Amino acid sequence: MNKPKPFWTLGLLGIILVIAAPTAYFWPKITKAVDDPWAHVPDKTVHVDHTDIVKGPFATPQDVTKECITCHPDAANQVMHTTHFTWESKPEIAPGRDQPVTIGKKNQINNFCIGIQGNWVKCTTCHAGYGWSDANYDFNNPLNVDCLVCHANTASYSKGANGLPADGVDLVAAAKSVGAPTRQNCGRCHFDGGGGNGVKHGDLDESLYFPSEDIDIHMGKLNFQCTDCHQTKDHQILGKMVADNYQIDPAEQVQCTNCHSQTPHTDDRLNFHTKSVACQTCHIPAMALQDPTKVVWDWSTAGQPGRTDDHFTYLKIKGSFIYEKNYIPTYMWSNGNLSYRYLLGDKIDPSKPVVIDQPAGDINDPTAKIMPFKLHMAKQPYDTVNNILLQPRTAGKGGFWTTFDWASALQLGAQDAGLNYSGQYGFTETWMYWPTTHMVQPSANALQCNDCHSESGRLDWKALGYPGDPMIWGGRFQQK
Amino acid sequence: MQNIKPNTKLILVLAGVLLIALVGIQSVLAQSKAEPASQVSPIHPTFALLDANGENVLASGNAVSTMKTCGQCHDTDFIASHAFHSDLGLSAYQPVADSMNSSNGLFGQWDPLTYRYLSEKGDSRLDLSTAEWIMLNGSRLVGGGPATTSREGTPLVSIAPNASNPESSILKNGQATPWDWSQSGTMEMDCFICHLTQPNNEARIAAIQRGEFNWASTATLINTGIVERSTLGMNGYYYRPEAFDTDGELKSDFVAIQDPTNSNCAQCHGAVHTDKSPLTLTGCSLDNPQTATTGQVISSQKISDSGMNLANKSTLNRAWDIHAERGLKCTDCHYSINNPAYYQENATNRPSNIVFDPRRLDIGDYLKNPDHNFARGQSAQYNVAPQLKGTMRRCDSCHDAQKAHADWLPYIDTHMKNVACETCHIPQTYAPAIQSYDWTVITTNGEPVKVCKGVNGDSNSINSLVTGFEPAVLDRTNTDGSHLLAPYNLITTYYWVYDDVNGTRPVRLVDLEAAYLQNGKYKADILSAFDSNNNGALEANELKIDSDAKQQVVADQLAALGLKNPRIEGMVQPYSLNHDVADGDHAISNCATCHSNDSRLNQPVKLADYAPNGVMPEFAKDNNVVSSGEIYKGADGALYYKAAPANDKLYVFGNSRVPWIDWFGALFFVAVVLGVGGHGTLRYLSARKQAKARAEQGRSVQKRTERVYMYEAYRRFWHWLQTIAIVILLLTGLIIHRPDMFGIFSFRYMVTIHNVMAALLVLNAALSLFYHLTTGKIREFIPRPYGFFDDAIEQSKYYIQGIFKGEEHPFAKAPNNRMNPLQQMTYFGILNVLLPLQMLTGLLMWGVQKWPQVANALGGLPLLAPFHTLIAWVFAAFIIGHVYLTTTGATPLEAIRGMVTGYEEVEVHDKKEVRKSKK
Repeated sequence: MNKPKPFWTLGLLGIILVIAAPTAYFWPKITKAVDDPWAHVPDKTVHVDHTDIVKGPFATPQDVTKECITCHPDAANQVMHTTHFTWESKPEIAPGRDQPVTIGKKNQINNFCIGIQGNWVKCTTCHAGYGWSDANYDFNNPLNVDCLVCHANTASYSKGANGLPADGVDLVAAAKSVGAPTRQNCGRCHFDGGGGNGVKHGDLDESLYFPSEDIDIHMGKLNFQCTDCHQTKDHQILGKMVADNYQIDPAEQVQCTNCHSQTPHTDDRLNFHTKSVACQTCHIPAMALQDPTKVVWDWSTAGQPGRTDDHFTYLKIKGSFIYEKNYIPTYMWSNGNLSYRYLLGDKIDPSKPVVIDQPAGDINDPTAKIMPFKLHMAKQPYDTVNNILLQPRTAGKGGFWTTFDWASALQLGAQDAGLNYSGQYGFTETWMYWPTTHMVQPSANALQCNDCHSESGRLDWKALGYPGDPMIWGGRFQQK
Repeated sequence: MQNIKPNTKLILVLAGVLLIALVGIQSVLAQSKAEPASQVSPIHPTFALLDANGENVLASGNAVSTMKTCGQCHDTDFIASHAFHSDLGLSAYQPVADSMNSSNGLFGQWDPLTYRYLSEKGDSRLDLSTAEWIMLNGSRLVGGGPATTSREGTPLVSIAPNASNPESSILKNGQATPWDWSQSGTMEMDCFICHLTQPNNEARIAAIQRGEFNWASTATLINTGIVERSTLGMNGYYYRPEAFDTDGELKSDFVAIQDPTNSNCAQCHGAVHTDKSPLTLTGCSLDNPQTATTGQVISSQKISDSGMNLANKSTLNRAWDIHAERGLKCTDCHYSINNPAYYQENATNRPSNIVFDPRRLDIGDYLKNPDHNFARGQSAQYNVAPQLKGTMRRCDSCHDAQKAHADWLPYIDTHMKNVACETCHIPQTYAPAIQSYDWTVITTNGEPVKVCKGVNGDSNSINSLVTGFEPAVLDRTNTDGSHLLAPYNLITTYYWVYDDVNGTRPVRLVDLEAAYLQNGKYKADILSAFDSNNNGALEANELKIDSDAKQQVVADQLAALGLKNPRIEGMVQPYSLNHDVADGDHAISNCATCHSNDSRLNQPVKLADYAPNGVMPEFAKDNNVVSSGEIYKGADGALYYKAAPANDKLYVFGNSRVPWIDWFGALFFVAVVLGVGGHGTLRYLSARKQAKARAEQGRSVQKRTERVYMYEAYRRFWHWLQTIAIVILLLTGLIIHRPDMFGIFSFRYMVTIHNVMAALLVLNAALSLFYHLTTGKIREFIPRPYGFFDDAIEQSKYYIQGIFKGEEHPFAKAPNNRMNPLQQMTYFGILNVLLPLQMLTGLLMWGVQKWPQVANALGGLPLLAPFHTLIAWVFAAFIIGHVYLTTTGATPLEAIRGMVTGYEEVEVHDKKEVRKSKK
């Protein structure tokens, strides 16, 4: 008798196949194909523990940098070419100007602490370098690069006057603690921009050190670090601040679409929106969710004797403020660039608010989208004869913060910034727009139809250039 | 003290400085924010306010006449005569002897919630006269209709005061007294209440309740800047000259005319919330009738953002009403039926080749003669203008349910044909609603015992936890005759009625109060009957009629008032839920909600905490709800309604079952299991005995066998494929049939697998049939008539006797002749009767979604489904028997091995020749 061959196993396989194939084919499909944002999030590698690598001792902070570049020879040089070190954009051709211009903290003003020139001692506390104390700072010395501010554990390192390590910092301990930058490293400067928590950005403040998922879905629920989105290559960190740049190459910007699909919604109607509405508009319904942000800063009341200082309403050195919490943004068309940036020496019209940075784009610009901005309004000094904005010396020697005398502070500041100052000053209203792109909310908290499309909606359609609510009047890309 | 004073001063000064600074800065802020777009109709011209004589009110000081004022441009007579909001049943008013309803609307329809009864002419006792009806319902009346016109169609002002005429009298201190229409005036249709941005409804209602009917429209203008309450003017209404220009026309700033907004509609209909403040709502007040009766709240606010104390509130991250959230207004669906922007000719009135008919009313003509009959749905609670039922755009006018559900919902057509969109998309209310009103008793405030559902504890307290409720799902008959399951709230009311000269009447509130109360306190007779704890007051648990004695006491009191045959009646009224729609993410998508033992479709719905003295209420008849279910008293004494989908010819998989079929099928199955079990045990015992005997006799234990190639490859393939398909079909079928016993499995996936396997089984059977036909092997399955019975008896004998004696099989098993006569008979039955029937019933059940008429012609699901179940039981039993009989081969597992490998050891037979010789 022949042994029966296990031919029947083939038959069994065939039967299973015949059963499985149609079942799989007809299996109810509930999940639509969605984009996979995680595919774009870098894997986190464990950082090499430098405790046993770094030896010391270090007499000066520059010695730390010297030791860093023994193993990372290109690092300091790379940092020197980033705006974190130069505080100045590359020269760019700007609309309406003859010469290429550069913009940055180094040479221009804003409507918060106004300008750094003459005030380096304080302002450069956040400079990623050491010892910037005057106009003659050596930007070409690699040893001036401060590696620790971004890489040291913030518990063991902090910076003080002129960007030098604060008193009492143990440089060896700090250098041994280095690792990949965390929210703490970035937050030290970026959460406190403008001189304190939540002053400058409504969407970046200290609540993001340990955020709940209701504050920011990425950092709260998913525990993102800043560098997960602001991905870095050769120390060039992705993402640029529009307030300090005329043009931003989209490739240099962090976009939601770097990870998410342009049309991520299951509802087609929402996907139609993404041609004209930035993701941020709906997914960041409000900023300053936990810590308030400064929305008005009136320098003209600074220096008044006898007034009690209060962090949120009045400081003698800075004037009076208004802070807002859970603050609804201002909505404007934006294509990511500026159409105008105030440069020192530009003439102003003091009869109306001076817009220091005007986001570019309007309803006719197909690349522009409706974008949320924090509008920061200030009253700041200007030359009533020459009609130019002035830059006072504040923190610097003999500045306003010690003398409380505007006349001398503005005179000194004009020298520092090279301004032609008549000696007559007043205060004028200025506006700055700051894009709101953090504190992203999950879909459940995003804006709903009637938040914009209703009688009490938050968008001013006519101001945006629509004849009326596009839900009724039609949108700009709608087929007629 | 001295230290404090300067400090206080300093703080004050600082605060002042700060305030000034803040104000200055705030004004900067304010500049940047744009004003919201004006909602007022921008092109409405200014106009003069005219009185009933057509004179400018600024000169005459008389009440504003909307008919004259708006009639300057609009055809107000047309509007007033084309408005069911105005008519309210007047045009259908027709007393009927055996009904308490004399119309289909608020004017004449008996509503046990508001209780007061509009007296008919000739009623011996006056309850509501026309004048008092206007006062009582002021908050729900727009004017015109019964507020200006008598039941006979004459102007009310033409009727002389007469205490015995319910149209020109009023109940005062329990006595009918004459009502003088010429003094009160009548109430014209009030255009302002719906078309003004800020109408003053409170002032309007107050004027109506004071009986100043002709001033109601003028009162609506109070605080708009046009009219003030002041002694300067006539009757206390003073027209502010500042609001008028030199020509006596309103200045344009005061022309706040607009299309009606949700807030306008809300004034009479129900809770509408439009601003950003957290929505709060307590109690079941009839001031918001729609919300009180159904729990519907129209708001774009997220439920989680509301101020309600709601169970699981933080998870309710959806708007109260998705349409409100998405910017729709009431008038988008309930539009004027001749509005050219919305009007779409009914498809049945249109040639089928015409998709869109562009010939429509000119916008100017529409503005002159806008029809104020509004498109409406098919709700149960509003019965006026039945001719307009179903004129509204329904869900499917805007939504394509086929596409919206395409990616997940099985049997879309079946679901859409039987289930209203609302049933799944209004899964729950999140506001309380009325459950029952018991008017058989009365509180000292003259109120019934009210019970609110969907709230724990005192419904009027903001602190009570609101749970909302799941609506009852009932069978609704549409105007086109089709049936849909739709969500409802059921409200139960109890009340006393008596025999009046014109028929049955509800006991008047004054009589009820007289029966129970004296000087605002319960009468001694009532207390002695009701006050079980003798504390002189009636607590909630005492204030109910739960015995003959109590009923008799009250009946005696009523009889003493001269009421004939006082008795208790009860009514259950369905109130349909059509708003508060949830989007797909929050709608019911779990099959088990309906397809399960505790299906929502036949869950008992609590009607009332008790039935007064056991009187069972009747399900209201004058509506489109089929009340085929059962009202019963539960073990807890409460009343329940249990819908019965089976009575509505519905068979719901996973929920509907025919008990005897399951019992019969299960018993049959168990009997077969026991039978083969017994047979097997006996075989085992006898085999042991024989083996022992053989061993003693030294005979060979082994039967003589030979290896035969019994089953070719294809045969084995189709057999095992069919085996697996049938086993899976039986299992998934059982799960679909009893999902409550197999909660671990997903109902949806089981349905999918069942359908795929069924298709596979049919295909496999067809191919196998083809194979057997073409190869001629079909003959094996066909019993040969000649000698068949003898052979069958012989085979039976073998199973009953021979097999235990170790005899050889009576018929040899050979590749070309593998079946014994019993097998042939069984297969003949299974393959020709059971399998085709099961395929057919299954196909028809599946086909219900595609060709329901075919299934319906054969009895529909209620017949097909139980039949399918019955055959499934028989199949299950067959498998047991079939598998058992395979063990009767040479060795118990030999036949199965043969079906796997193809080769089987079969007995070498002597009788083979015998049989062959027979043929």
